[in-house]
Amino acid sequence: MTAYITSVGAALPERVVTNAELGPMLGVSGEWIESSSGIKQRRWAGAETSASDLAAMAVANTISASGDSPERVDYLIGCTMSPDYQVPGVAPLVQSKVPGIGAIPALDIRTACCGLLYALQLAQGLVNSGAAGSVVCFGAEAQSKGLPLDRAHAEITMLFGDGAGALLVQPQAAATGISLRIDDVMVFTDGAFARDLVVRAPGSGNGSAWLSPEQLEAGMHLPRMEGKSVILHAVRKLYEAAAEILARNGLSVNDIDVVIPHQANGNLLKLLAKRMELGPDRMVVNLDRFGNTGSASAFIALWEAKMEGRLKPGARVLFLAFGAGFTWGAALASVVPGPVAVALQPD
Amino acid sequence: MLPQGVITFLDRAATEGRTSLPDRDCSLFLSGILDSFTLVEFVTVLEKECGIRVDDAELRPENFDTISKVEDFVRRTRKQ
Repeated sequence: MTAYITSVGAALPERVVTNAELGPMLGVSGEWIESSSGIKQRRWAGAETSASDLAAMAVANTISASGDSPERVDYLIGCTMSPDYQVPGVAPLVQSKVPGIGAIPALDIRTACCGLLYALQLAQGLVNSGAAGSVVCFGAEAQSKGLPLDRAHAEITMLFGDGAGALLVQPQAAATGISLRIDDVMVFTDGAFARDLVVRAPGSGNGSAWLSPEQLEAGMHLPRMEGKSVILHAVRKLYEAAAEILARNGLSVNDIDVVIPHQANGNLLKLLAKRMELGPDRMVVNLDRFGNTGSASAFIALWEAKMEGRLKPGARVLFLAFGAGFTWGAALASVVPGPVAVALQPD
Repeated sequence: MLPQGVITFLDRAATEGRTSLPDRDCSLFLSGILDSFTLVEFVTVLEKECGIRVDDAELRPENFDTISKVEDFVRRTRKQ
């Protein structure tokens, strides 16, 4: 059996935070932020907007654009690093916020920025096994709410933005427009580096207390990143995942028309493109405008690629992602005539 | 001793960072010669010039922090 991405959608908060606004909060210049990351601005969610709110908008847009009804969705897979609550997950909240979606399975996968690839593999398996016929996957972040605004955390805080994206996986291509046939997905994990990109608290791995004043004082509830380690591994593993998935499908990088990477850091993407000998025109990059939107970023990049008409029938698309865990992987898809519906209006 | 190609890379990185190569036990990171991104290229150059493969488990910035640590790392890797 084959599975197809038949629709995509996205939702982005209205508030634009430029480097000129953010820099002084972090004690750095806007120019430094741009040269260090390639990011010029990002979107931040308002106080009353949560990750599940953004996700619900993206999911509703995706279903609406497909022409299907929410009642036909029979599985929901959500990815986030900034859930509304520790428990329950974000997916049940999204299920409740999209009118018409029934009492279907709704689960979270916690693979950080690699969420799209893990979700895609699960959705493909569910569809191919016949366990589900319409699987909606989403990535959503309201991570600005957990970012410290100080010089000590400038290198992390400058990166992240909020937003959500979603896609619909079904066993047939849509009747009109284009769809993406999922040709292959491969994902990996190396937990030996789990603490190189981590938010430690609250958690049961920190001694006797789930969350203590001492842990808060030590900043264990804030994201911590060993930047050099993350970038070293990300570039290598993204390159190797690309090489492996291309090789096992009998393809070379020259056969790829569009690369949709997790939008980690502009300098990292440049290094990767150089190593892959990939012209910049083939890589979808939007982090200059949206920042690193974590688990949502590849979803949003896919949505933008569709909106911009970059997914032509016959095109081969390579997805690449790397995230906390470490998790990483690649996916291959082919654009087929049929309809990836689109009609998404970021709020 | 590191191969000339590795030293040439570090010299060039130092020039771009408007500094010079530090003593063999001084940090290449703190001296502004290597950052997160030049480190990626440095490891690639090291593998090529020294004929080694840096295993994932050894792909840790601390292995490349000083010239003497890099030399130790290359020596250790070649013995394996």
